[in-house]
Amino acid sequence: MKQLFYKELKLCLPVQVPLFFLFAAMLLIPSYPYLVACFFTCNSIYYLFNQSVGNNDTLFTALLPVSKAQAVKARVRFVVTIEMVMFLLLVPMILVNHRLNPAGNAAGTDGNITFLAAALVLFTIFNVVFIPAFYRDENKSGKNFLISTISVFVWIILWEGFMIAAAVAKGQVPFFAWVAENLDAYPVTDSAWRIQLVALAVGALIYGLGTCLAARKAVRIFEQVDL
Amino acid sequence: MQLLEVRDLTKRYPTFTLDKVSFSLEPGYIMGFIGRNGAGKTTTMKAMLNLVHRDGGEVFVNGRSFFENEQACKSEIGFVMGEFDCYKNATLRTITDVTRRFYPDWDQGAYETYLRRFALTEGKKVKELSAGMRVKYALALALSHNAKLLILDEPTSGLDPVSRDDLLDVFRSVIEDGSRSILFSTHIISDLEKCADYITYIKGGKILASTDVLTFREGYRLVSGDREHLEVRRPKLVGCKEHAFGFTGLIRAEDEEAFRSCKIAPADLESIMIYTEQEDSHETTVL
Repeated sequence: MKQLFYKELKLCLPVQVPLFFLFAAMLLIPSYPYLVACFFTCNSIYYLFNQSVGNNDTLFTALLPVSKAQAVKARVRFVVTIEMVMFLLLVPMILVNHRLNPAGNAAGTDGNITFLAAALVLFTIFNVVFIPAFYRDENKSGKNFLISTISVFVWIILWEGFMIAAAVAKGQVPFFAWVAENLDAYPVTDSAWRIQLVALAVGALIYGLGTCLAARKAVRIFEQVDL
Repeated sequence: MQLLEVRDLTKRYPTFTLDKVSFSLEPGYIMGFIGRNGAGKTTTMKAMLNLVHRDGGEVFVNGRSFFENEQACKSEIGFVMGEFDCYKNATLRTITDVTRRFYPDWDQGAYETYLRRFALTEGKKVKELSAGMRVKYALALALSHNAKLLILDEPTSGLDPVSRDDLLDVFRSVIEDGSRSILFSTHIISDLEKCADYITYIKGGKILASTDVLTFREGYRLVSGDREHLEVRRPKLVGCKEHAFGFTGLIRAEDEEAFRSCKIAPADLESIMIYTEQEDSHETTVL
């Protein structure tokens, strides 16, 4: 519903959302766990929800001629828009990253298509953990953000750790050699392109399904909540 | 056809139950919704609008089930919950610009008229408005989309007497074409005396009465007498206050005969409410 999207844009958008898009530039750092840059988008989404609590946005929206389900879906669409803007900003950053640092990232995953897939999984984890919990009790948004932050960092540690392990042990373990060559490198061969695009498709599928499930669960919870 | 019909609306909390609340309102009238704090007025209004998840009951707006046609019914309702307390850093202009997009029948001319009448400046931020001005802004929004039904929770609290009187005039002018109605809750009973056509009285989550103001008032009498009149007649008193010279109390009209030796006067809404609230607790206030 475009009116609700307009409301999100005009009345709900905190300054942190556009400001934290600048963290996409963290991909220009030569050696850094790049997935952390995506966490800052989650952080800005938390500011969006938290500011909504202070603004009594939930009650204002519920009084408009929309159903509770439409209100939740509009917010989720707005969150997806923010995440997709960050996702798109990462693409040119990956290209610049490769120019500045062709040897790759020693501190984690390289800037490449697989990284974009991992970013989508990170956003999915945040959406699934944070959004339904927010609609269960919006007054506990701080606690829910902490839980979602821990979940997101578990993913960052697992993913970046896996990529570091692949880089370190590629000489000893054939599987790690395959990972380092096809997943954790800027794609130069047809095979690496194909594998990374498959990884991106899997990431997109997880993101689409996970976010839809998060929205459906949030709607179900919010229908039962007394305002 | 009734503009608003509430049937057996029920909401159960661990310590409070809104118990099969039913009442209706025809087009062209103002209904006052009264009751003590915690009696269930706000819960009823919120359950009617699906803000509170109901455990049972139905609400019909203009003959349509609210819960099956939520979006369409909400377009026909203007709802105000006290003062406007959202987006404190946004200007009224921005908030109105967002709000009007949701209502196909938004009347910009009416909105600007209410802004002038309520002395509201669009360039101001919500946080810069006094409590009374925030109530007026909420009302301006609710009145500007040609809502058939206005549901107002404590709309006159926080307003000075002149503004309250002006607002009651607005209410009368809103319903005068006979197509719109207002349901409003208030603790300021004198406001109801001035403008309400009907009264719905809720006590402990149950509707005690829902009728026109005249019938409601005609059902009771105020009595006063000396102490010797009091003792034998005490069981028939709805509520009573004792003082050094005797007592003042409320009786039901059908018991008037038993108090013929006392001074009897018509009952006003405030007295009915005050004495009725004493009924269950069998309180007797001694002055």
